[in-house]
Amino acid sequence: MSRLNHPVIGQYIPADSFLHRLDPRAKLVFVFVFMMIVFLAKNAAGYSLLVGVALSGVLLSRIPLPMILRGIKPVLYLIILTALLHLGMTRGGDVWWELGPITVYEQGVVQATVISLRFLILVLMGTLLTLTTSPMELTDGLERLLCPLTRVGVPAQDLALMMSIALRFIPTLWEEMDKIMMAQRARGADFDSGHLLRRVKSYIPVLIPLFISAFRRAEELALAMEARGYRGGKGRTRIRELRWKKEDTILLVVLAVLSISLWWLRG
Amino acid sequence: MTRGTARIRNMAYAALFAALLAVSGQIAIPLPPVPITLQTLVVMLAGSVLGARRGLISVLLFILLAAFGAPVLSGGKGGLAQLVGPTAGYIWSWPVAAYLIGWMTERSLHRLRFWKLLIYHVVWGIGWIYLCGGLWLMVAVGMDGQAALIGGVLPFLPGDAAKAVVASTVALTLSRAYPIIRPRSAESVRAAE
Repeated sequence: MSRLNHPVIGQYIPADSFLHRLDPRAKLVFVFVFMMIVFLAKNAAGYSLLVGVALSGVLLSRIPLPMILRGIKPVLYLIILTALLHLGMTRGGDVWWELGPITVYEQGVVQATVISLRFLILVLMGTLLTLTTSPMELTDGLERLLCPLTRVGVPAQDLALMMSIALRFIPTLWEEMDKIMMAQRARGADFDSGHLLRRVKSYIPVLIPLFISAFRRAEELALAMEARGYRGGKGRTRIRELRWKKEDTILLVVLAVLSISLWWLRG
Repeated sequence: MTRGTARIRNMAYAALFAALLAVSGQIAIPLPPVPITLQTLVVMLAGSVLGARRGLISVLLFILLAAFGAPVLSGGKGGLAQLVGPTAGYIWSWPVAAYLIGWMTERSLHRLRFWKLLIYHVVWGIGWIYLCGGLWLMVAVGMDGQAALIGGVLPFLPGDAAKAVVASTVALTLSRAYPIIRPRSAESVRAAE
């Protein structure tokens, strides 16, 4: 797929790998269910299975490790903090070592490992999904997955369309804001000095024109959509069709096997 | 105006506002103790400018975008990890905050005043958001109340107080310059046309 179809640079890293080629629907279902069955793991066997799946995901994505680490980095220090908290706070089991006022118990080490491992696996799978699937593909996938819900009143197609519109307009509005800020600077606006309230206030002459310009665009867009006969999702045809392949079925079979083995190992 | 037209307009407004939310997360004001972004300011405005329903939908859209890895959260973060991580409590309280601010703004639309908007923004845009964010920190991360207060609430309060003031000014100005929430009576007249 060409870069032109994906105007928004997200976390997505284009490549040709097994994970990239999978249908977004299959990947969404996998990650969604995976995030729930992670909590089924109660012992070492369960966790090694989960770690195995996560690591094979990393291998199959063909994304360089530094890129993946960059995706995880924002939450990494929180994971470490959580682990340290549990290390110091949890009591129970044998005393392993004492460091001044802090006593580390066996249970503390176990708790810290389990919780940070669980967080790490959750974050890793989420990151893999967004690294290998573009936001547009995900939007399409979600729309198709939510399709059955249209019968009970969830406007899946409208929702997906609104997401595409928002993605489309982020760069536009960003540029617009840049322009307005430059214009206000030329008139003598100062964004970089003064106390807290003054600094936040200095954005008022940016926000108001920015909002009004966004609203004008919304108005024009609505007019254009109506003129072209948009009547909601029903009967709308699409330029990119999703195709369910053999690999996608395999992924779901793996998911089923994984869930059953975790359930079985739980005891 | 027919119902179809109103529907398309609402969709366009909610989508554009979600884009505004994304953009506002990238405006960082470097200040001690913590750098602030304008994201929560725009969350408040989603309610007070668009009204309850559209505000709610635009924030939900924004969260979906974040879930899909678009770098829309403050500082260019995104991805599912952020929405289940330790700071998830704040993010998930936003749609409700926008809805409640919008609902109250709609109710006092005839006599909209700066101080009324300020109260709505402070109660829901600050009080409610930090209540959810702080509780989530305690539940998910296992912080005790004091640690959550010191690490997750207090450093952000001065910035958010300033944002509530600015949000009230902006909402009031926009409601005069470009009214989007229409009084109920006028809307029903339009629907009948």
